Amino acid sequence: MSRAFDARVDAALADRQLKIAVERTAGTAEAKRGAAIGAWPSFGAARERAAAIKDHVIANLGSYLVQFEASATASGATVHWAETADEACAIVVDICRKAGARSVARSKSMLGEEIGLPHALEAAGIGRVETDLAEHIIQLAGERPSHIIWPAMHKTREQVSALFHARHREPHVEESIVAMAASARRQLRGEMLGADVGISGANFLIADSGQVCTVTNEGNAELSLVPPRVHIVTAGIEKLVPSMDHAVHLLRLLARSATGAALTQYTTFYAGPKRAGDRDGPEEMHIVLVDNGRSAMRDEGLAEMLRCIRCGACMNHCVVFRQIGGHAYGGTYPGPMGSVLTPALDGLAANRDLPNACTMNGKCQEVCPVAIPLPTLLRGWREKSWREGLEPVTLRKGLGLWAWAARRPWVYRTGVRWAIRTMRLAGRGWIAKLPLAGGWTGGRDFPAPAAESFMDRYRKGER
Amino acid sequence: MSARDAILARLGPVGDPAVLAAEAAGLLTGEERERPVGGEDLVARFLAQLGQPSVAATHARIGSLAELPGAVAGYLAVEGAEPALWLPPDARVDGLDWAGLTRLADCPIDDGAVLAFARAGVAETGSLVFETSPEAPMLPNFLALRHIVVLEVAALVRWLEDAAPGGAVPRAHYWVTGVSGTTDIEGTYVRGAHGPRFLHVVLVGSPS
Repeated sequence: MSRAFDARVDAALADRQLKIAVERTAGTAEAKRGAAIGAWPSFGAARERAAAIKDHVIANLGSYLVQFEASATASGATVHWAETADEACAIVVDICRKAGARSVARSKSMLGEEIGLPHALEAAGIGRVETDLAEHIIQLAGERPSHIIWPAMHKTREQVSALFHARHREPHVEESIVAMAASARRQLRGEMLGADVGISGANFLIADSGQVCTVTNEGNAELSLVPPRVHIVTAGIEKLVPSMDHAVHLLRLLARSATGAALTQYTTFYAGPKRAGDRDGPEEMHIVLVDNGRSAMRDEGLAEMLRCIRCGACMNHCVVFRQIGGHAYGGTYPGPMGSVLTPALDGLAANRDLPNACTMNGKCQEVCPVAIPLPTLLRGWREKSWREGLEPVTLRKGLGLWAWAARRPWVYRTGVRWAIRTMRLAGRGWIAKLPLAGGWTGGRDFPAPAAESFMDRYRKGER
Repeated sequence: MSARDAILARLGPVGDPAVLAAEAAGLLTGEERERPVGGEDLVARFLAQLGQPSVAATHARIGSLAELPGAVAGYLAVEGAEPALWLPPDARVDGLDWAGLTRLADCPIDDGAVLAFARAGVAETGSLVFETSPEAPMLPNFLALRHIVVLEVAALVRWLEDAAPGGAVPRAHYWVTGVSGTTDIEGTYVRGAHGPRFLHVVLVGSPS
């Protein structure tokens, strides 16, 4: 393991508050999703259809982008294209400057995080109001999101309470989550309604109509995007769907997989700026289509990853995520989907630990609403890391030694017998400390092996 | 080369839109939808969905629009709320007798009640479908504490797909399926995060 990843994981495992916070939210999400999918007998067929829709779009992405550009332009929106994160940020900052913007209201967008938009706005001296409650919490705390649906999942209610008391103008008096939410409502209202520019991501871009779909439960997207003079959308090019009906099919899967509800509370399809006679709405609408490595992913064996609709179910059900939370992953996207995406976005050499930090239990693939073969994609990264010689020498030599022994059964069995004897000297039942396995026993006990190996017992006639 | 050209060059040649559209349409035959709640009757299904915890809307039924002011006044009285509300610039509210209720000149931005006409209601999810127009501004529906929505029984449709805009695409087409809620602190559900805390549907007309 690289030292940085190692240190982050150690810190996460030692943080008892983090474990409590992650368990409370991810546990609730898992239970609610289970109930929603349990009440939908055709979920299996629905997700196969969703995968087919996304695959069709990804295979014909150029055509759909051209179609979307034409229909969005016809609706009065301006379409921009960005190959990289920096280009995308530069386009957004430029639009803000031309609009004379002093403050922007931002509705949670993982693509915005991916391209570093919060930082770019800050560098340009443009004030930023995060309007999603969780994004507001982490903006106050000066932290990054730890989950794609619940960015403040790592915070307990006690930590949020302390933060609001320190930073809100009129903080809550009663120590309850309801009172804390009301405190944020008071704090954000004026800032949200007074912003010059509203920035959002997109859950779907609809090719035949040029509509941009956002979903929220808080209604903060609409409050951030309708009052300002300018609405800017930053969206990954994989967000395309052919028509509204295709979006509807995916929306059914998205909400159930994320929160267990049949649909998010607010689902909005925007098409261009305000029209003649409209009493509200922005005067300009800009849509920035961002590649940032996606077209390369399609052609380099990661096309299935572009199906992802960002529901977060894979991380809610991941045994590793549930232990270490999202920050330990180090990238914008945590959990299983993040472990596939981060090496593609930020390079394999610096992130080869991520595909290794996986038990391959297959749970992520089982719950994925678009049936992404996440374990297979993670294995692909492991193989690439091996082929490119990125694994450390100790691991390569160790595996070489094991492979040499595994091809010589007598040597292998003798080795196993000695290993059993040595390990049983360290303890019976559970081993608290084991030489050469400090990485394991530092965080948890190791199960002591049985007195004899399977092969020895089999030979003695135990069947 | 522009970013646009570079991205499109990597993605390969642009296909025939007609062929693509046919392929895409073929992917939607025989959708898998959830088992109906509340039977086959559209009104019963819609009302059953309004009662789901994630929607948690109240409702009243009236025979015709003339009864709307009375129904609204009754709702606000039962809730112990002020007999005041903001009405949209829609000709349908003008012919009604709003005596006993104060018509607010401006939309309340953090409390109070607003009224809106839904273009459709969706039995599948209990969603209310809105579209922006000069008569139907969007922001009031996201600001006030109480969102009162008028829906004609005849405007109920079965599935979300049936609620799609029929003609020209409106500037904003939106579905409201509950109130402004959040689970951002420890996964605990709180109503009234930024917008409405209460959703009340007034269903107009008798089932055919």
